[in-house]
Amino acid sequence: MAESGRSGVAGAPAALAAQVATFAGRLRRRHGFLIGPGEVRDALRALELVDLLSRRELRGALRAVLTAGPEQGRLFDLEFNAFFRAGGQPQPELPPLLPETPAPAEPDPDGDQADQPDREQGKPDTRPEQAPSPQAGSDPGGDLPDGEALQDGQESDEGDEQDAPVMQARVSPNVAPGEALRVDAGDLGGLLRAATGLIRALELGRARRLRPLPRGSKLDARRTLHAAARTAGDAVHLRWLGRPRRAPRFLLVLDGSRSMGRDGALLLRFAQALHLRSRRVEVYAFSTGLTRLTPLIRGAAPGQPLTLPDLGDAWGGGTRIGENLLRLARDERGRVNRDTVVLILSDGLDTGDPALVGRALRDLRRRSAGVVWLSPLAATPGYRPVQRAIAAALPHLDALLPAGGPDDLHALGRRLRAARLTRGASPRDAH
Amino acid sequence: MIPAVQELQAAFQARGYVAGDALATALRLVVGLGKPLLLEGPAGVGKTEAAKTLADVLGTRLIRLQCYEGLDAQSALYEWNYARQLLHLRAAELRGEAVGDDDLYGETFLMPRPLLQAIREPRSAVLLIDEIDRADDAFEAFLLELLAEWQITVPELGTLPAVSRPHVILTSNRSRELSDALRRRCLYHWTEYPSRAQELQIVLSRLPGINETLARQVTDAVHALRALPLGKTPGVAETLDWAAALVSLHADHLDAEALHATLGAVLKLREDQLLAAPTLQGVAAQAQARG
Repeated sequence: MAESGRSGVAGAPAALAAQVATFAGRLRRRHGFLIGPGEVRDALRALELVDLLSRRELRGALRAVLTAGPEQGRLFDLEFNAFFRAGGQPQPELPPLLPETPAPAEPDPDGDQADQPDREQGKPDTRPEQAPSPQAGSDPGGDLPDGEALQDGQESDEGDEQDAPVMQARVSPNVAPGEALRVDAGDLGGLLRAATGLIRALELGRARRLRPLPRGSKLDARRTLHAAARTAGDAVHLRWLGRPRRAPRFLLVLDGSRSMGRDGALLLRFAQALHLRSRRVEVYAFSTGLTRLTPLIRGAAPGQPLTLPDLGDAWGGGTRIGENLLRLARDERGRVNRDTVVLILSDGLDTGDPALVGRALRDLRRRSAGVVWLSPLAATPGYRPVQRAIAAALPHLDALLPAGGPDDLHALGRRLRAARLTRGASPRDAH
Repeated sequence: MIPAVQELQAAFQARGYVAGDALATALRLVVGLGKPLLLEGPAGVGKTEAAKTLADVLGTRLIRLQCYEGLDAQSALYEWNYARQLLHLRAAELRGEAVGDDDLYGETFLMPRPLLQAIREPRSAVLLIDEIDRADDAFEAFLLELLAEWQITVPELGTLPAVSRPHVILTSNRSRELSDALRRRCLYHWTEYPSRAQELQIVLSRLPGINETLARQVTDAVHALRALPLGKTPGVAETLDWAAALVSLHADHLDAEALHATLGAVLKLREDQLLAAPTLQGVAAQAQARG
C-alpha cells in the first residue's frame, strides 16, 4: 500500500508512538475499550498518514482507530484532552466513567445513552459489596411512608385494593437508591420452563429468508442442479427451500422503582431465564432514569445469584414511566422490530405525565410484534386498571396480564396465546 | 498518491460534501490503512453520500451492496446461472457428450454479485455496504471472513483471491447492535447532525440557486425542529429536500404559507407535524419579522 510522505516533525514519532501506546493502554484499562496490539499498530500506522502538527487530525485518526461505538467517542475525547494536554503530560484525575451511569436529565441527541457494548459490563471486575437481598418478603415493616400514603389514598390514582403483606414487600426500604442489587438464584428450572412456554406460545409466522429445508415451498435450483449433474442432468432428487419460523425477540422493561422491589427481582430472574432460552432478549430497567441491563444479564452465570452493580437512578427510586418509555421508544428504536415482543413490568404507580405513557406505547406498538404489560397489582383479586399510567396505556396494549409470582409467569404463555398476540405476524405458510 | 486530510476535505467540498475534520481523517485512514470504516449515525446525515463522494474523489468505481433482512451470501457474492447451466447440460446431452463439473462450474456460468465484483476490480473500488444492521448475524459473520481474508471461496470453483482490495465503507443506523468482532475490524466514525453553520454551507453548495436568506431560515427552522422530541427527526436530506421544494415554489423567504405548503418535505409523521406546529409558527413569525 502506498504511503504518503511522513508529514510530522522528525523525531516526534518515536516519542509520540510511546505516548500513543500508553494512551491506548489507559483507554483499555479504565474504560474497557477493546484495544489489542493490532489496534495499537494501526494507530501507529495512522500517525504516519496524518499531519501530526494538527491536533485535530491526530485526534480524529486515533479516535477512528481506537473507538468502536458512539458512547466510546465521548470517553475518548475526555481522555484525549486530558492526556495530550500541553506537552503530553498525563492528567491523572479524570475519574473512570462507569458506562452504566448515564446522565439522566440530558436528552441525548444521538440516540443512545444507556447502552454500552456488552464487553464493558459483561464482567464487572469490581463487584460491589453485596447488599441485603431486596426481595426478602419477610422484611420488617419499618417505616412505610409510601405505603401509608397508598393505603389510605383510595380516591387518588394510586389507590386500589391490596392486602398488607404485599404492600409491605412492595415498599421495602431495603431497595434504596445507590446500592448494589443482589437477586437470589431461586428456582431457575421453573423459570426456564416458564420461559420456554412463553417462547413457544408466540407465533410470529415465518422468516423472509429462504433456507434449505428438507421440505419447503420453493425449489432450490442451485442444489437441485448440483445434484442433477451427477445423474446426467436429470433432476432425480429435488431440493427445497423454505422459510423457517421466526423466533421472537423480547424487550423487557422492568420498573425498578421502590414499589416494585420483590416483583422486580423475580422478573429479573425471569429475564435471565428467558435469555438462556432465547438469546434475543434485551432488558432495560427504569425508575427515574433508564438503564440497559442486557450486558449484565448476559454476563451472569446461570444458577448463581444475580449481582447487579449500583444501578443509580434506574433502580430503587421513584417512577417516571412515561418519560422513560418514551426515551426507550425514541432513543432505542433500533431494538424494536417486527419480531420484538415488548414486555413491560410495572405496577403503574407513576408520578409522571400519563399522556407520555400513551405516546410511548403507541410508538412501541407500531413497530413491535406486540406490547404486553405485566402488573403485579393485576394479580390481586378485584383489580381494576385505574392507575393513571395503566389507564393511559390500556388502549395501546395487546394484553394487560398479572405478574404476581412464579405461577403467573408459568401461565404467561397460555395467556398470551389466549390474547392472540400474532398481530405483527405474516400469515402462516400453508404447509 | 493518497491525498492528505486537508486535500481530501477540499476535494469533498468541491463536490458539495462538507466533511468535518474527523470524517475526513477517518476517510483518509480508510485509504491509507486499508481498513474498512464503519459509519454510524442517525438516518439522513450523509453516510451513504460520503462513500459516493469518496469514490468520486478517488476517481474509482462505487460498488454498493444494500443490506436487507434476509440478505444471504448468495445474493451478495455470486450466483450460478442455472438456466444457462441447464441449457448447457441439455445441449451436451444432444451432442452425446459427457459433462463434468469443470465444464458446468466455470467462469461462464458465474454471475458476480457486489462483493465478488468489488474484489475483482482491477483498481481498488469503493465498496459501500449500506445499512449493515439490517442484515442478520449470519451475514455479518460471513462478511467478517471476507474482510479478514480478502478472498472468496466458491466451493465448485476454488478460492478467488482479491485482484485489488476495495476501500470498504459500512454504514449502520443502529437498528441492531453489531458484533464486537466486526467493530474491531473496522475504523469507526460517528456521524452527527451538522452544526448550523455547516448545514447552511451544505445547503448553499448543494442548491446553488438558493437565496441566502431562505437557506438561513430553513437551516434555523430545521435546527429548531431537531430539538423537539420528534418521532422522525429530519436529517440533512430532509433539509435539502425542503430547501429545494421552497426554491421550486419560488419562495425567497420562509413565511407561514410556504411553510404550510412544504411541511411534508421535512416532517413525515402526522404526530410530528402536530407536535411541531407551535415551533414552526414561531419560526415563521420570526422570519417574517426579520424579512
